[in-house]
Amino acid sequence: MNRRLTVAEQLAKQGVSRRAFLKFCAAAASLMALPPGMAPAIAEALGKRTRPSVIWLSFQECTGCTESLTRSHTATVESLIFDMISLDYHHTLMAASGEAAELARKQAMEQAGYLVLVDGSIPTKDGGIYSAIAGVTNLQMLKETLENAAAVVSIGTCAAYGGIPKADPNPTGAKSVQALMDEGLVPRKPVINVPGCPPIPTVITGVLAHYLTFGEIPELDNLGRPTMFFGDSIHDRCYRRPFYDQGKFAKTFDDEGARKGWCLFELGCKGPTTHNACATTKWNNGTSFPIESGHGCIGCSEPDFWDAGSFYSALSMPTTPLDLAAGAAVAGAAIGVGVALANRSKKGAAKSAHQSAGLADLEK
Amino acid sequence: MSGLEGIPVHIQSAPRAVASGNTQAILAELETALQALLETGREHSIDLRSLPLLPGELDYLQHTLGTGEVRVEVDALGKSEVQETAFRGIWWVTHCNTADDVMAEFIEVSFCPDIIRAQSDDVRESLDALSVRLAGEPVSNQNCRGEGEPL
Repeated sequence: MNRRLTVAEQLAKQGVSRRAFLKFCAAAASLMALPPGMAPAIAEALGKRTRPSVIWLSFQECTGCTESLTRSHTATVESLIFDMISLDYHHTLMAASGEAAELARKQAMEQAGYLVLVDGSIPTKDGGIYSAIAGVTNLQMLKETLENAAAVVSIGTCAAYGGIPKADPNPTGAKSVQALMDEGLVPRKPVINVPGCPPIPTVITGVLAHYLTFGEIPELDNLGRPTMFFGDSIHDRCYRRPFYDQGKFAKTFDDEGARKGWCLFELGCKGPTTHNACATTKWNNGTSFPIESGHGCIGCSEPDFWDAGSFYSALSMPTTPLDLAAGAAVAGAAIGVGVALANRSKKGAAKSAHQSAGLADLEK
Repeated sequence: MSGLEGIPVHIQSAPRAVASGNTQAILAELETALQALLETGREHSIDLRSLPLLPGELDYLQHTLGTGEVRVEVDALGKSEVQETAFRGIWWVTHCNTADDVMAEFIEVSFCPDIIRAQSDDVRESLDALSVRLAGEPVSNQNCRGEGEPL
């Protein structure tokens, strides 16, 4: 096998000038949520690092994470990062198929120290038969692939925490990569969780860029997430936060408060309990994020977000007394099947009569 | 259907140029940074993408800082624009990719942003390339207007 080129050599080979490299490092620092003063350190580190081999395993997933990544728009930085890594196996993106594809994975695994990216959770019930690739169960494939890996990045809430496949009643016995390691079902390796449904594309590339640049695992929080992107709650970084502090809340999705862009807490926003970079990094090339579009955060980067009650129930414990929010939470908890059905018909009636739909109408 | 005008909804334009706690904090940071530049020569840079700014706040900042004497366009991995603000020593730097999407945006405090300066490794390569050309090229006026092949 040829000696792998350092990242700087790789870029020089592509005719990238030092000035352009400097610009790349400045953009990369921004991407990695590092202070701009770190750009020279990034340049120095990239001068020494070689292109690592990357194996991307897709298990019980919807391909949304790959979609998110491949449809990111800051083309130059991302494409350079992908020029920097040697993506040796990704069964959705690779040209090879069938046995040739599996051979590529086996070959990449011959040289220890590769990085494994996983999206999707892993079924464990009934011997893991609910998801298999080339006749190999996801569990078996993960076990084999982790053997000589340097580290694993769990991309998306499914790989990080089980996500939607693990949601109640979890028919396939889906588990996260970390859970499998904790149970000793797969080899233990350092894990970086990059949750989100899907994760923000620049967060995925930012985490990869950090690993490639510095060759080490970034600082993680208690849920295994890099603090540089998941250190703050959505609420703490939200531009609507001043309205929360002033007690100005939208009560329905079409009232005066909603039009004025007031806080969506009472409409079920999970911003206060959700850690992610949406409020600063934003989506669609920095255009906006859900709250900016008028919908509360659904908390997709947190474990078990799908089973955490309705997206439209206010969080039960506000930091300041809010009678209405507490009322909404109690109403949310008390709703039974009958009420839910009644609400559904009410929602239908409201729709046909073209009336405003309130919070209760949106409850399941 | 009664047509769009029948729907009692009208678009309210996003607020333009809003001063806020964010913008005041950034201006105060720039004041401190300018002082440090004068006293110690230390450069400073603010990554605008790392802050939860709204378009109105960005407009306010741009409006307050104004436009100065220097505007440089750099063509390296896509366009970059370096615009000196009315406050000399404060530069608004925008890096775009080859598809003209903004990749990163900074306010830099320095005498001259790094991206404008030629880098010493590049200069060394230029010197080598020029020497090779002088030694090996037959004399010709063809490229005397700087239209020669780049490195």
